[in-house]
Amino acid sequence: MTASQININKLIQHTEYTASTVQERPLYASGTWERSGKRAVVAKGVKMEFRSGADSTPILQGIDLEIPRGEIQLLMGPSGSGKTTLLSILAGILTPTSGTVCLLGEEITRMSKDELSRFRLKNIGFIFQGFNLFPALTAAENVEVALRMKGIRKNEARKQAKDLLMEVGLDNRINHLPRDLSGGQKQRVAIARALADNPKLIMADEPTASLDSHSGHAVIELLRKLAKDNGRTVLIVTHDSRLMDVADRVAYLEDGQLKN
Amino acid sequence: MASIARKNLFEDIPRFLVAQAGIMFAVSLVTIQVGILDGFTRSTTRLIEQSDADLWIASKEMLQLEITLPMPLQRLIQAREVEGVDHAEAVISRNSLWLDANGKIVPIRIWGFNPTGRLFSNWSMSKGTPTALKEAYTFITDRSNLNALNIKQVGETGKIVPLKAKLVGLSEYTQSMASSTSIYASLESANAFTSGLGSSLNCTINSGDVDCKNPLSTADIQLSEPQPQPRRLNLVDPISYVLVQAKPDQDLQVLKQRLEAKLPNTRAYTKEEMASITRSYWRERTGIGFILGLGAAVGVIVGIVVVSQILYSSVSDHLKEFGTLKAMGASDWVIYGVITEQALWMAILGYIPSMALCWGLGAWTVAAKGIVILITPTTAIAVFGLTVFMCVGSALIAIQKVTHVDPAIVFKA
Ligand SMILES: Nc1ncnc2c1ncn2[C@@H]1O[C@H](COP(=O)(O)OP(=O)(O)OP(=O)(O)O)[C@@H](O)[C@H]1O
Ligand SMILES: [Mg+2]
Repeated sequence: MTASQININKLIQHTEYTASTVQERPLYASGTWERSGKRAVVAKGVKMEFRSGADSTPILQGIDLEIPRGEIQLLMGPSGSGKTTLLSILAGILTPTSGTVCLLGEEITRMSKDELSRFRLKNIGFIFQGFNLFPALTAAENVEVALRMKGIRKNEARKQAKDLLMEVGLDNRINHLPRDLSGGQKQRVAIARALADNPKLIMADEPTASLDSHSGHAVIELLRKLAKDNGRTVLIVTHDSRLMDVADRVAYLEDGQLKN
Repeated sequence: MASIARKNLFEDIPRFLVAQAGIMFAVSLVTIQVGILDGFTRSTTRLIEQSDADLWIASKEMLQLEITLPMPLQRLIQAREVEGVDHAEAVISRNSLWLDANGKIVPIRIWGFNPTGRLFSNWSMSKGTPTALKEAYTFITDRSNLNALNIKQVGETGKIVPLKAKLVGLSEYTQSMASSTSIYASLESANAFTSGLGSSLNCTINSGDVDCKNPLSTADIQLSEPQPQPRRLNLVDPISYVLVQAKPDQDLQVLKQRLEAKLPNTRAYTKEEMASITRSYWRERTGIGFILGLGAAVGVIVGIVVVSQILYSSVSDHLKEFGTLKAMGASDWVIYGVITEQALWMAILGYIPSMALCWGLGAWTVAAKGIVILITPTTAIAVFGLTVFMCVGSALIAIQKVTHVDPAIVFKA
């Protein structure tokens, strides 16, 4: 092995990229390779309008946002300002009217529907205000489903589901149905599910809005831990000002613009 | 993803039971309609299938087992002389009337045959034996006919107009559902039972009044006791069929041609040909196939409506979860898989009890009504295929709904 080859290998390790991600598709824009490599999320000029008939309402009017890897980004703003819309766009669930979004160095606004699905499956964990657990499945099974979807074999998925629930402090509620869990416990199951197969990004919409202050606190603490311990990038949409204590950065969305 | 399908299904037990009831209704309706059609057509050929004859010789005008022209008894003698024939017996089939104890007329079909023969009456008997028919004016009928003839047991008598007739045995599974009540007698009795039926009235003119006696009427009929012995049949007496048993290793097609050449105005049929001609007559010349088919179609439609409705509402209830799976990055196929699996479970769990129900119902109708609901393995397999088709087809409607779900709904609280 030549010296230059060793150097290249080191370089690749340092940029936190797996070789496959680098090769999979051309990067966001030439020259921004290094930049987007350190930033988990890069959004540029994101605009969104909802059309109904002849009318179109502009919701987002040119959003630029960068979130460095391993940081917790809070997105706040008045109700109806478009926070959820922006989160959906950043997560590749909604397609913006214009603008580009780059996640982990890949430009998701160029991907096809199927590519997007695969990207989300591999890289993003979701947490919702309404928990969105399957009511007929136990806590462990809800987590297992996510693991199985990500291609993990049955027995391994069962084991990992237990480990994840233990990680969120629910090891004694593994076989409970969602209806037998408190709101905070449900949200912790949802967090365990979001952590399945260790995604690099976590996207949460009002994760504490349905919870009382005590369980809200537990969830906030958990979000902080999972970001800091594992270097995950976390984007949280919230009204909950307590979350500001754990956030690295806060952005306000108002009148279709971001204000820091 | 196995557990989502099953657990979604059992999540709401009342709804699940309603769905299963709908599927059971559909499956049972289809099975019973097909079973009745099969049982019905099969019943029309029971006498043929239970006979031990290799060939049936009939007038060449024969339409089906019960519609044929007579031929003289001479054909029996001629058939016995044909090379390759081991054994031959005559069979008479004619209509007559039964007059029950209350004077009610019941149309009947009389089958005359040789009670000591071995080709025609190879049925299982629930009472008595065919040889009892050697006694004059006796008859056997299927045990399912007791009610129709308004008699209770072996030994009772009634009238086969204008003669008195005694029941000496009960057969099983011999009655065709398509024809009038069949009774079985010796050739001589059968001939006697059917030759007394005149169309004439016995009238006398008494001082301007016409006084008539109707031989069909109980009031008017005077039975001479004892009835005269029925006469033996002679060469010109009409018979309906000659049943032939071929010599061992005889090629039946060759024998058929030989018989048709020797016996004028006849055609010979193998047992299978005879049965198939009769079956297709009933299936095609009557509306029964169509009507039962229509019933089956209604069953399928009801089933599809119920299953789609249930699957659709189950999917609608879980739209948010399915949306969540989509948001998390599940491909549409994962979701189709879940819904299809749910449909398959519904199919299997609806099919099994339905079949059990149909078997039970079939056993009951045979015992109580003599109506056979014939569920052949082919029917059972075909109905299962139909059930799966019905359920999975219904799932497509539900899948439509999920395909169009916007994953963005997941963020709506
Ligand atoms: N699918 C849609 N079609 C049309 N308009 C939409 C759609 N989704 C959102 N909107 C509109 O976009 C605006 C922003 O909605 P969004 O849900 O992003 O707000 P939000 O900031 O998350 O509010 P909240 O804090 O109440 O959750 C709202 O005025 C909403 O009515
Ligand atoms: Mg919102």
